[in-house]
Amino acid sequence: MNPAALELVALPVRALRRGAVWWAIGLAAMIALTMAFWPAFKGSRVIQQGLDMVPPALVQAFGLQDFLSPEGYLRGNLYAILVPLLLVLAAVSAVGSQTAGEEAAGRLELYLAQPVDRRWFFLGRGIAVAVAVSVISVAVLVAQVASNAIVDVRVDLGRLASTVVLSGLLALLHAALGFAVAGFRARPPLVLATGTVVAIAGYLVAALFPLSDVLAPWRHLSPWDWALGGDPLLHAAEPWRYAALVVPTVGLVVLGMRAFGRRDVAAA
Amino acid sequence: MTSRLRPGTGGDTVVRVEHLVKRYGTVDAVRGIDFEIMRGEVFGFLGPNGAGKSTTIRCLMGLLRPTAGRVTAFGLDTWTDGVAARRHIAYLPGELRLPDRLTTLDLVATVGRMRGGFDVLRREALAERLQLDVRRQLRDLSSGNRRKVALLLAFLADADLLVLDEPTTGLDPLIQHEFLALVRDARADGATVFLSSHVLSEVQCAADRVAVLHAGRVIAVGTVAELRGRPRQRIEAWFDAAPPVAELLALPGVADATVDGLRFSATLAGPVQPLVDLLARHPVTSMRVEDPDLDDAVMALYAAHSGDAGAGTAGQRP
Repeated sequence: MNPAALELVALPVRALRRGAVWWAIGLAAMIALTMAFWPAFKGSRVIQQGLDMVPPALVQAFGLQDFLSPEGYLRGNLYAILVPLLLVLAAVSAVGSQTAGEEAAGRLELYLAQPVDRRWFFLGRGIAVAVAVSVISVAVLVAQVASNAIVDVRVDLGRLASTVVLSGLLALLHAALGFAVAGFRARPPLVLATGTVVAIAGYLVAALFPLSDVLAPWRHLSPWDWALGGDPLLHAAEPWRYAALVVPTVGLVVLGMRAFGRRDVAAA
Repeated sequence: MTSRLRPGTGGDTVVRVEHLVKRYGTVDAVRGIDFEIMRGEVFGFLGPNGAGKSTTIRCLMGLLRPTAGRVTAFGLDTWTDGVAARRHIAYLPGELRLPDRLTTLDLVATVGRMRGGFDVLRREALAERLQLDVRRQLRDLSSGNRRKVALLLAFLADADLLVLDEPTTGLDPLIQHEFLALVRDARADGATVFLSSHVLSEVQCAADRVAVLHAGRVIAVGTVAELRGRPRQRIEAWFDAAPPVAELLALPGVADATVDGLRFSATLAGPVQPLVDLLARHPVTSMRVEDPDLDDAVMALYAAHSGDAGAGTAGQRP
């Protein structure tokens, strides 16, 4: 890779470095804290009785089924909502800051006046976000494995890794959506709102639609269902789930690149 | 003068702006302008805020897509062949926004990698001329020092064409002087300089030819000498006795005269010598002749072209 092309990725990676480290520390701390309570939950009859009083559909909706097993505890506390949603927020905010945010602030103009292709410049920002999300995801996995070892939780490492990877890909899909929006418009709030609102809506579709016989089949419209609908902590995720997240991500990135290459660069 | 290898098929024309229109929604920022910048010249680009200078420059840099018309640099369309064109162009933006978390050295290294590397000795020499501490964080720099960083990047590129949009905003007079020396050196090395400014004196000092923009149109293109002949100068004179008003008003080109006690003031659009001769015959205690500021120049030119929808062509090249 020539130095100019490498710089298009290295520059936003350097800018995201500090934020990614803080996200990684925050998520790792949250995982460690959550897992610290496992010994108190393990085999608790009181909690089981409480869960028995909740309608099964709601238990399912919030990922609380089999809550007192190690996999159920991880899913209900971390991987049904919290970890994927925080990864989405980290990814969307990173893409918003490195694309529309920097452009609206006028900080891209100096770089785009250099002999670099606009589309590749923009792609460099997308790759940097992917690098940041990967770093945070690795931190999540490492923190989870370490915490599991400390509190003696035995979960299949392959399935745990698969769950984290699917969560990371889910985050990147929403980041790619923000990236495409930023390709068309240098409006940071629009990028953040689109990624976040679609993520929350997608979660609600995946979590609540199954409660209705009429709506249940439509839950498959949600990327959350593609990523986590197969309960990857318990069952090996099918390859199509990865493809279902990666293919639209790539498509949205290409769309954003093309759009950015064809429009005016915003002035400060 | 060093002769540089020029890319493309532009010949002696380095920049050609043809029927350029840039529209934002319903607002026409640039309304069909034409001009050329020739190899090795310093070309001034004058106009008040909102005249369309920066929009034209951003089209030249491939940052904006022309609504109609085209801009070429070295024979390359700056929108469709922007990367190739920008290999030969260094740019100083008018609205300067630099990354906060880098030092000047970091930024120079980053831009250097995008351009294939910068000469370290040249960097140090330029930083010294600009009195710039390259190791400080950009966020800690004043606006003037940030402008110096942008100047450093522009001149460091050793480009065939320097595009400088309001380059001296916020600079102290010493560095403004140094900037003009840098422009002269760049031209002596064979570079072409496109200098946009609303500071007439700066352009007068540096430019060979000038285009004046007003409301998105080029209202004149010519040499500095041609354009300087047009606008009115402000004159003020204090006399020991009552000013010779009748004689003063009879001078060619005197207008807007006011008399305030022993003080006479007016504008002068004609030759200066008759005024000097007249004042020499009277007891003048003090006098002041002010060069016109940009507003005067632009307004005078605009008034002269008020019925003309097209461009003025004082000395305009084909």
